[in-house]
Parts: sequence; C-alpha cells; structure tokens
Amino acid sequence: MHGVRRARQSKEALEAKRRKEQSKLRDYLALTDDVLTRKKRNEWSREALHATTQLLQVNPEFYTVWNYRRRILINGVFPESTPEQIKDLLTDDLSLTMEALKIHPKVYWIWTHRGWCLNNVPSRPGISDDGDPRGWEKELWNQELFVVEKLLDADPRNFHAWSYRRLVLESMPVPKLETSELAYTTRKIESNFSNFSAWHQRSKVLSSLWSQGKLDETKSKEEEFDLVHNAMYTDPKDQSVWIYHRWLIGSGDSRDILEREIAIIQSLLEEEPDSKWCMESLVHYKRLLLRNHASSVVTSTLTQDCIKLLDQLRKVDPGRRARYNEIGKVVVIPNCVF
Amino acid sequence: MSHELNSLLIPLHVSYIQNLGKNKDDLMYHLTAHLRMNAIYWGLTALCIMGHREALDRDEMIDYVMSCWDEETGGFGAHPDHDAHILSTLSAIQILVTQDAIERLDINRVVKFILSLQQPSGVFAGDSFGEIDTRFTYIAVNALSLLGRLKDLDVEKTVNYIVQCRNFDGGFGSRIGAESHAGQVFVCCAALTILDRLDAIDTSMLSWWLAERQLPNGGLNGRPEKLEDVCYSFWVLSSLSMLKKVHYIDSDKLISFILSAQDPEGGGIADRPGDMPDVFHTHFGVAGLSLLGYPGLVDIDPVYCMPAALIEKMGLRKGWQALERRTG
Repeated sequence: MHGVRRARQSKEALEAKRRKEQSKLRDYLALTDDVLTRKKRNEWSREALHATTQLLQVNPEFYTVWNYRRRILINGVFPESTPEQIKDLLTDDLSLTMEALKIHPKVYWIWTHRGWCLNNVPSRPGISDDGDPRGWEKELWNQELFVVEKLLDADPRNFHAWSYRRLVLESMPVPKLETSELAYTTRKIESNFSNFSAWHQRSKVLSSLWSQGKLDETKSKEEEFDLVHNAMYTDPKDQSVWIYHRWLIGSGDSRDILEREIAIIQSLLEEEPDSKWCMESLVHYKRLLLRNHASSVVTSTLTQDCIKLLDQLRKVDPGRRARYNEIGKVVVIPNCVF
Repeated sequence: MSHELNSLLIPLHVSYIQNLGKNKDDLMYHLTAHLRMNAIYWGLTALCIMGHREALDRDEMIDYVMSCWDEETGGFGAHPDHDAHILSTLSAIQILVTQDAIERLDINRVVKFILSLQQPSGVFAGDSFGEIDTRFTYIAVNALSLLGRLKDLDVEKTVNYIVQCRNFDGGFGSRIGAESHAGQVFVCCAALTILDRLDAIDTSMLSWWLAERQLPNGGLNGRPEKLEDVCYSFWVLSSLSMLKKVHYIDSDKLISFILSAQDPEGGGIADRPGDMPDVFHTHFGVAGLSLLGYPGLVDIDPVYCMPAALIEKMGLRKGWQALERRTG
C-alpha cells in the first residue's frame, strides 16, 4: 500500500463501513467462486470470458484471472472467430486494460496483458498484392506508443511505463527512428530536468546511435555537455544531472575534457559555495586525472585539492562522511586512487 | 492509547501481524488474496526478526502453504486455486525452510518448475506466460540455493543476463535497458552474491549511487529525485551490506525515519509517516532496522531475507556485513 493516508475512524464508523461492504463482499466472493469453478472445469466459453471481464474490472491484480482469460481466448474464442473478430476482441482487451491502468498504473499484470494482446494481433487476411499483411499490427503498435506517451505525461517517472515503452519500441513492426526517440527524451528533459528516467533513456539511445555511427560521437557529446551545463546551472542540487554528467565523462580518457569540465564546475562552485554535488564531482574527476593522466598533471596539487574538498564534503554532507573518509584514505596513496 | 514513536513497538506489531489473518469479513482481505503467500512470508519473517516466531500457528501455516501447491505445474500459487507463479513459489519455500518443514516439499518437481522458466537469454520468466524480470532471476537463484540444487543451474547464462542489466551508474534494472532501481539492485546483487560473482559489480560506483538514496529526512528513495519509502530501507541496506558499506549512510536518521512510519495505535509500519500500514512495509521496515543494528532484534540475512542464524546453519552464509547490534 503506497501513499494512503492513515485515518482514525471511530468503532461505529468502521462497523458501518463493514456493514456497507458486506453486500459487495458477497458479490465479489460469488464472482470469484464462479470464475475459479469454470477455470477448474477448463471451460473456454464466452460466458466464462464475460465473467473474467467482470472480475477483472473489480480486481485487476488477480493474475490467475488474466491467465485464465488468455486461455479462454486461445482455446475457446479465437478458434471460432474470424481474423477481424480476433482483432476486435484484442482491441476490447486493450480498452479493458487501459481503464485498469488509469486506476492502477503500477500493476505488473495489467501491463503484461497489454503486451500479450499486441503480440497476438493476427495478420490482415485476404491481402493479395496491394496491401500490407502486417497492417493491423502496425496500426496497433503505433497507437500503443501514443498510449504509453499519455501515461508518461501523467507520471513521467513511472518505471513500468518506461519499461513498457522500450518493449513497444523493440516490437513495432516498423521501428521508430532512434533519432526521434532521442528527440522524445529531449522534450521530457526540457519539461523537467530532474526526470532521471529520461536522462537514462537518453544515455541508452545515444550509446546505440554512436556505436552504429549514426551520430558523430565527439560532436554529439559536446552537445550533451552543453545541455547538461545548462541543467546544472539551473538547479545544481538536482542529482539526475550530475549522474548523467558522470556518464558523459565515463572513464575520463580525455584529459582536455576532464580539465575543461573541472574548470566549469569550479566556477559553479564559486557561485554556489555549499554545493555538495560540485565538490563530489570535482573529487571524482580530479581522481580520474590522477589515475589516467598522472604523468602530465601536478599530482601533489590535485591530491591536496581532493583532500580539501573531502574536508568540505564532510561538513556539508555529514551523513555520508564515512564514504568521504574512505576516499580520503586512498587518495593519498600514490598509484592507488580507486 | 498512543505511543511515542522513538522505539520499535514490538508487541503492537506482533498483534498487528496476528490480526491480519482475522479480517475475513473485510473486502480488502479478499482483494489481496493474490499476495497471500508473500504476505505470510513477510509476516513470519518480521515475527522471527522481532523474536516472536511462535506468534502464528506453525501447523496451520504449513497446511495452508501446501494447499497452494499446484500439482500440475509443480509450483505454488498465491492462494488455493490460484495459478503457480515463481513469486509465490519462493515465498512458499522460504516459509517451509523457516518452519523446518522442507520435507513436505516434492523438491524435484519444484526445481523442475523453476528451471523450466529460464529463457534462452538467461533471464527467468515469472510463469508460463513469459513476463521476464531480474526479480525472477533472483527468486530462481535463491530458491535453488535453499533447496541445495544450484548445481542444476546454468550459472554462466544466468550471470550473463544480469550483467547486461547493469547501467553506467553501477545499478541494475529489471531488464536489459531498464533504469536502475534499488529493488532491482537488491535482486541482482543478491543473485550475484549467491553465485559468488560479486566481481560483476562496480562496487565504488554502486555504493556511491546507493549512499545517495538517503534524503535529508533520513528515509531512502529507490531512484534519483524520488520520494523516500520504508521498503527501500531494506533494498538499499541489504545491497550496501553485501558491498560491506552500510556505514555510508546516516543510520541514526534512517532508524528515526522507519520508527516514525509506525502506526502507534493499530501497529504495523507504513511506507512513510502518517500513511496506512501494511505487512509488506512492516516486514521491510523491521528487516531494515535489523541491518542497522537496532537493539533487541534478531539478525536478518540480507541476501536471502531470512533469519541469519538459519542461513548460517544451512551453510549458505555469504560475506556480507551489517551494523553491529546496539545494546539498549
């Protein structure tokens, strides 16, 4: 149970609520009994399908009933339906699950059933040479991307929805261009810099575009640094941005980039002298300089910088001081900075 | 009668858990039947950690668990006549192991059910309909280990999938490509720990990410820029225990946060202060307090999420480190 406020009710109020619930409870138990009895009989009729609809509308978390519903469709209803009818049945189930998701957007079973529906859309029949046999699949999967965008508008951090979005992108008969997914993450990030789910998705899309050579990695990375600088100056307390920045830096192979970014963060720290994230990032990047570029930097100065920053971190972020202490111990050991 | 929220109200939580099974004329009781097997495991484990294992009737519990076994598939459902699922199967095994009743189990059939759910990619599905998740991988690894049958598992294939779920922040997601989430970090770390493959974890990155889950009010969140929730107390702390870094967070503040989420009248712990309690948060709150060394509690094993002495007796203890138990 999440986010349901505790309310103290009098004994009388609780009793009244309980009495009011009794008829609902009787109906629910009767319906459950009816469905499970039919299930045990391996009944695949339309009446059974209807009974599962009723039960799932009351309780969409009843996974056994979703399973039974799929078995009824596969074993009883689909074999006697035309492809058009199968498509209509699946469209009905998409509506049923949509209604359920509006109230329960974090119930795994509902998402799973949607995916199953889409994976069972039949090929369009009777197409000779002028049509696309995957027309229905394309139509429904495209529509699904739109649906998942609506759900992510309602809750931009719902990880079920993001996970489902990736599934849709992988499953669409005509894949969406990854550059347009990149543009989607830009929109999500611009509407809220602290949406780490969107930053995460962006890191995956960019890695893929870079590795396939569809985007020039060096140039594209520079654009990412611009985006992230903008975000870190807007709200230096937002950890999403700093985590993404750490991804851009990666293992810190480029000394030029490391030194440039250190200078930028240093000047942000001057404006925001208590910024824990500036200090924490500076320690990490200076340690990368020490590890990867020891021969071309002044190691004693960098080590001293780290020790000073760690002292400050212990003051501004005392709850995590044990971690800063541990880093402080290794940073002074030459050639053993991590 | 109201209590101060500066200590763990053990007697109240024990009676809260005992009363959960007595609400049979309550609609909510029946609407949550699909979670019953998990709920019994949460309740029993919380009781063990509070030192009150006997508060629920052992024989009744074992009979109930066995009534949920699905002869046809070899797995357990969440309730009699509910379909077998890997989620309820692990809870059933954990309950039977905790109650020293594993002889009731047809181990070969259960092992076969679990192994049948591994996909060619290495990840496990929850049931025959094929929903995949690293949660299910952990469940399979944990269950096979408790049953002494890890030798039947294709370890390389299993680890290989988990590694592909590792993100640049050191955390793990539910599937390849999914965002890091503290619950998924727990399941992936615990599976790797059981399989002796901690080398697949970027310890310094991950312990940083985990330490940053703590918010100024002491509570832990599950992902960056999200709200705190008592259940993450266990998922973040258990992962930190496996990495031997529980001291990276402020334990006093987290203890206060968990205690403040107790219901001082009816008992139980909620997701956050002032909310309705439930057995899930009660279990994870108590488990979190145990890892933080809260006085008077019994040690919990962060890998198996079961009483530590039991896991040790079975010879399954791994090299985790929780905080030392405080006195008084």
